[in-house]
Amino acid sequence: MELCIQSDLMEKLAILTDAAKYDVACTSSGVDRRGKGHGMGNSVAAGICHSFSGDGRCISLLKILMTNHCIYNCTYCQNNCNNDLPRATFTPEEICTLVTQFYRRNYIEGLFLSSGIIESPNHTMELLYQTLYLLRTTYDFNGYIHVKAIPGADPRLIELIGYLADRMSINLELPTSAGLRALAPCKSRKTILGPMRQIQTGIHQSKELPTHELVPRNAALPQVVRLSNGDPHKKRFVPAGQSTQMIIGATPENDYQIIKVAESLYDRFELKRVFYSAFVNVTGSSDLPTLPGGPPLLREHRLYQADWLLRFYHFQADELLDETRPNFNVWLDPKCDWALRHLEQFPVEISSASYQTLLRVPGIGYLSARRIVAARQSSRLDFSDLKKIGVVLKRAIYFITCNGRTMYPIRMEEDYITRQLLADRTQIPKEITDAGYEQLSLFDTGLLAKDAIPSVAF
Amino acid sequence: MYTYICENSIDGILTGVYCAYADRHPRRDIHLTIQQPDNMSLFTQYIPVETDTVKAARVAHTLKTRFGQDFYETIYQAAMSGDVPGKSTMDKADAIYETIALALFSGNGTKTLLSLGEPCVYRVFELCRATGREAMHLLGFIRFQELENGILFSEIHPNHHVLPMLGEHFSDRLPEENFMIYDANRDLALLHPAGEHFFLADADTLNLSATRQFSANEKQFQDLWVTFFHSITIDARKNPDLQSQMIPKRFQRDTVEFQAS
Repeated sequence: MELCIQSDLMEKLAILTDAAKYDVACTSSGVDRRGKGHGMGNSVAAGICHSFSGDGRCISLLKILMTNHCIYNCTYCQNNCNNDLPRATFTPEEICTLVTQFYRRNYIEGLFLSSGIIESPNHTMELLYQTLYLLRTTYDFNGYIHVKAIPGADPRLIELIGYLADRMSINLELPTSAGLRALAPCKSRKTILGPMRQIQTGIHQSKELPTHELVPRNAALPQVVRLSNGDPHKKRFVPAGQSTQMIIGATPENDYQIIKVAESLYDRFELKRVFYSAFVNVTGSSDLPTLPGGPPLLREHRLYQADWLLRFYHFQADELLDETRPNFNVWLDPKCDWALRHLEQFPVEISSASYQTLLRVPGIGYLSARRIVAARQSSRLDFSDLKKIGVVLKRAIYFITCNGRTMYPIRMEEDYITRQLLADRTQIPKEITDAGYEQLSLFDTGLLAKDAIPSVAF
Repeated sequence: MYTYICENSIDGILTGVYCAYADRHPRRDIHLTIQQPDNMSLFTQYIPVETDTVKAARVAHTLKTRFGQDFYETIYQAAMSGDVPGKSTMDKADAIYETIALALFSGNGTKTLLSLGEPCVYRVFELCRATGREAMHLLGFIRFQELENGILFSEIHPNHHVLPMLGEHFSDRLPEENFMIYDANRDLALLHPAGEHFFLADADTLNLSATRQFSANEKQFQDLWVTFFHSITIDARKNPDLQSQMIPKRFQRDTVEFQAS
């Protein structure tokens, strides 16, 4: 009997993990929370990675679907209702057992719970709520929970679940509403952005209110849920903020459109993260592009680099790309690429440049920039000090002076510096060397740097 | 020249610092080491230091009150390191002594720690970072196995003495569990009885044979975890090099999911 239950659970776990794996977000970051002295669980703001899967992605949370039954027919998604594949549904108790048993063995940092749409968005959301409620109360679990908000669900449900979770996310799925219409006819911009705005407002209100007032007003509960005396509501609403994800390469949007969307999500919806997911054709549908070179991983990588520039380096999307050059340079990272187009702003003097200026230098990250600003108050920095601080000199030397001098004589010319940067083979992405483009780069880099060629893979 | 030979521990090194100051030799003539010298140098007097927790506590107290908790923690974390050579090979105790001396001389601990141009400060920075990184890694990579008696047991092989840092984290996280983390490289064990504070113990006083007797459910949850681990991989993105870069082989040996079978 015991064995039978286990093998059933094993099968469900395999199916519902497989169904969840295309969701990229697996971060457990954004909230610092001490343990309660009973039950189990705490949370560390930096997030903790517990393992790394065969594709090199971090495993932090138990990432599963509640069910992979779905009434929708989104073309890109393997769980769409027209796809013939094994289906399964967890019970809330099964999920709680897996989470707590995995957690005490230190396999995971918490739960990432998403779901296919079963019966209706509301019904699905209620199931998610029941699971989280059980986990937070009966199982006394105080670890990290990331939960998906289901587009089209009742706002009251979203509000309730927001007090049990650390992070919520609603996937934008595709960067433009035209893309959404084509590939996800059951979803619309409105049903996605509506809850996103609601969560944003909720986070603001919960910050302004003292904790004891956090019981949501007018929270008439759906019948299936029984709440005890408002205990879980002592928590803050979505304390780790919200995130979203876009699929890259399934629809014809260019990089410029994508980072403009990301920028406005950060500015107008205050998202903590936007994730980019290189498209993998799992359904084999004829409406979708075939990608002989595999998923557009290099493009995804460049988007993440640009995303970091937006969030930590005070860049604007319009500085990185524009209508006339709508895609990222495949050869150089977006910061190098930007610097080469703005040589008039370089070289930068290490001993006097502002923190913001230092952030824009290729090879200087925000940690190094912070260390430079602190260290130069007490002593004069030279190039060997910069190396110790963590500056990547092989990129930075073309753009900086220490005490008025460059490390060695450098011509401030775009072609020259580009050639120098690319002479270091480790700087050339694997996708390009694998595709046999390497020889070309050594002779023709000036041209390539100016006109970002479309990538090899997409 | 005077070389103080200290025990390889935070208390040993801080006692060495205390003695070096108490003896009032000129600073440039003083060195500290945690190793028995293979070759005796001429004109050097070797002074063995008996670890004294009272003296060490006095130095620690001075550092905390004059330069703040952060400064002390940097020194502490550097002292916990396995003294593995990085870009610099300076002796751990010597680097710590000189860094403390610089801070006392300048009167500003924060500024001293930022002068990475000083070889001793850079060494302390390097050691502290190495220890901190390994501890951060292990917060995620440790795997507990449930033993027959309900105790959660974990075996690790760290380069640095990270058990105290792990103890803080896991006691807060799993307050109701009896758990034990065994550092096989140092033959030390961290023990946490449910509801109490953790403590360290020499492992030879413990019966480790009991750690091979697992509870009835243990295998099932390990199998479930391994199933999850394999199902979460996207085959179209397979990248074993990246995987090994993110979780280095030396950590893989102590995890469930990387065991072949």
